[in-house]
Amino acid sequence: MTTCSGCISTLFSLDIFPQFLEKTKIAYFPYITDEDKIGSYDIALIEGCITQEFQIQLLQKVRRATNKIYSLGSCAVLGGITSLSKKRAGDPLSNYVEIDGIIPGCPPPSTLFGNCLMNLLENKMIKLSDKNQCYSCPLREGLDYEFKTKITKLIPNNRDINSAQNPKCFLSQGVLCLGPVTREGCDNKCINRGMPCEGCLGSSSKSLCSNIYNFLSLLDLSDDLKTYEGIFYRYSKPPIKR
Amino acid sequence: MTKLQKIVEPCKRIDGNGNIKILLKGDMIDHVEFEIPQIRGFENILVNKKVHDIPRIVSRICGLCHASQAIVSNKAIEDIYGISPPSQSIILRRILLIGELIKSHVMHYFFQAFPDLLKIFNFQEISNPYELMQFDPQLTSSVFDLIKLGSEIDKIFGGRYVHLISCISGGVIYKPSQISINLIRKLLQKGSNHAKYLIGNFIKLFSTKTPPSSFDLPKINYLGLSNQDRYNGKIVIKNYKNKFNFSEKDYQPYFDKDVGVFGISFHRNNNMGLITGPIAREKINEISVTERLAPYFNKINEKWKQSILFQNFLELIELDHEIHQCLKLLNEDSLNERIELPDLGEIQKSEGIGILEAPRGLLMHHYKINQNELVIQAKLFIATEINIPLMNFMTLQYARDLHKNEAIDKVKKKIAQMIRAFDPCISCATH
Repeated sequence: MTTCSGCISTLFSLDIFPQFLEKTKIAYFPYITDEDKIGSYDIALIEGCITQEFQIQLLQKVRRATNKIYSLGSCAVLGGITSLSKKRAGDPLSNYVEIDGIIPGCPPPSTLFGNCLMNLLENKMIKLSDKNQCYSCPLREGLDYEFKTKITKLIPNNRDINSAQNPKCFLSQGVLCLGPVTREGCDNKCINRGMPCEGCLGSSSKSLCSNIYNFLSLLDLSDDLKTYEGIFYRYSKPPIKR
Repeated sequence: MTKLQKIVEPCKRIDGNGNIKILLKGDMIDHVEFEIPQIRGFENILVNKKVHDIPRIVSRICGLCHASQAIVSNKAIEDIYGISPPSQSIILRRILLIGELIKSHVMHYFFQAFPDLLKIFNFQEISNPYELMQFDPQLTSSVFDLIKLGSEIDKIFGGRYVHLISCISGGVIYKPSQISINLIRKLLQKGSNHAKYLIGNFIKLFSTKTPPSSFDLPKINYLGLSNQDRYNGKIVIKNYKNKFNFSEKDYQPYFDKDVGVFGISFHRNNNMGLITGPIAREKINEISVTERLAPYFNKINEKWKQSILFQNFLELIELDHEIHQCLKLLNEDSLNERIELPDLGEIQKSEGIGILEAPRGLLMHHYKINQNELVIQAKLFIATEINIPLMNFMTLQYARDLHKNEAIDKVKKKIAQMIRAFDPCISCATH
């Protein structure tokens, strides 16, 4: 569908990719095969969001022909980065067909992605955590955060990133981190490297909106961030009109 | 008046969704175009975004050229703030660009170009990845190891395989441990042998063959950066008799684009007569004359050097070359230093331009911002956009030639081979 091909690129990078090719029979994969007819499939992994009419028809055709469909990556799961588009924001696949499971992330974290593929090969369900990033956050230890700091920045100042000998919770430093409203499962990759969570794995609870409303009610956001578009919906098409 | 009949067919084995569009006037081919179904609108998405927020967004333009997109964006922002990253960060950025190029080139060569070469030169018709992997198991194993090499470089230096975490404006926020650097060094040494195998395999199979003359490039201009490092340098437009060098700040008399509209206009050159990417890089920087690489070039039939298919050979050469460059960069002393990245500070200019050579050629971002540090205009100049007019021109001539003797279905399949030889990056082009 509409995509940057980053999920495919990640798939090729996985340690288990050669094994995955051996253990499956890839029937339709436009990136590496010439096949252009939709046959019948056990499993479909679909990346990208829906921005075009022909994609809806293709998706529905694949749904009819496939036992289990999994949305791969933030675009397919949530709508993805094109949610920021002022023209046509991308829709997640689940807006059009029933989905059997999701592999979220922009890109899907390699360990999570590899484990999901192993589960699919063994005919098991994909398991995702329902805990948030803070649950496993390395900066959480000893933190008694009360949401009192005014949030003024999207990323820390360069000198603060670099001199982070004793890194502190981003929110306590006035930097917006979406960890509290984002599912864990990436080994806190961005946070470990000195950057706050951007929310690419999607919401840890079923209702993204109420989750964010609660979060927002606790935060003291600076005026320029209050009017800044695409902080909470960078990877998700909002279910309400912006 | 004869009515035009439109034929649209998805082009397979390319990066992203693109269609071959053919217009028939009676039985004559009137028009051939590589059609991209949509533009995602990144130039509009960036408007009203905070300038330091941009690199994270533009990385998502492409999952193959993600490092190039993020780094070129950082360069444009550094131009606005008038800061220079520390030399260690420049080395780290170049390493990240090398990781990206290794993976991008090897994936394109093996899965997209190689089956076409086997077919064009009558070795074997390959219709799925399993047949391809069985054709030469050693080649397959080398390819997977090289994909892994490119991926691991970006993961270790950038934080993950795709959409790197460590690239920010002002520098690179993370430097791997000596243990990780040693691991990458070992992988690179192994990768160098794999690259040699791939080049040797190409020479063994194809070097004495003559590529079909329809794939020959017309007299064209080559567009690229003057420096071989793909990071610094002036913009060069070169043809068989003239050469123009100019700074990226002076690009507008030469080329420009309208925001949100597909395509780049070249004012002094015919759009159809321009190419960027490995072929242009070779014409401008001539890595073929280096002592280590010249023997490979000497083994190739001269006819190859006029063909767009030569790009496939150059991809392999660049693999080898960049692996050696990366090994050199890993020995740089500044990699061991503990450094502080400069803060962005105050805006120095209301606009900034960044430039580099992505795997598929020249990539340039030009941003204009307001006093609140919000973007008011973004122009993204993408290599594939530069190459598409020439690709369309050559596919039209090829299609007309083929259609003299062959049915339109066969024509569609064969012109897809030519499109794949150009290695278009649809994700980037549909920004």
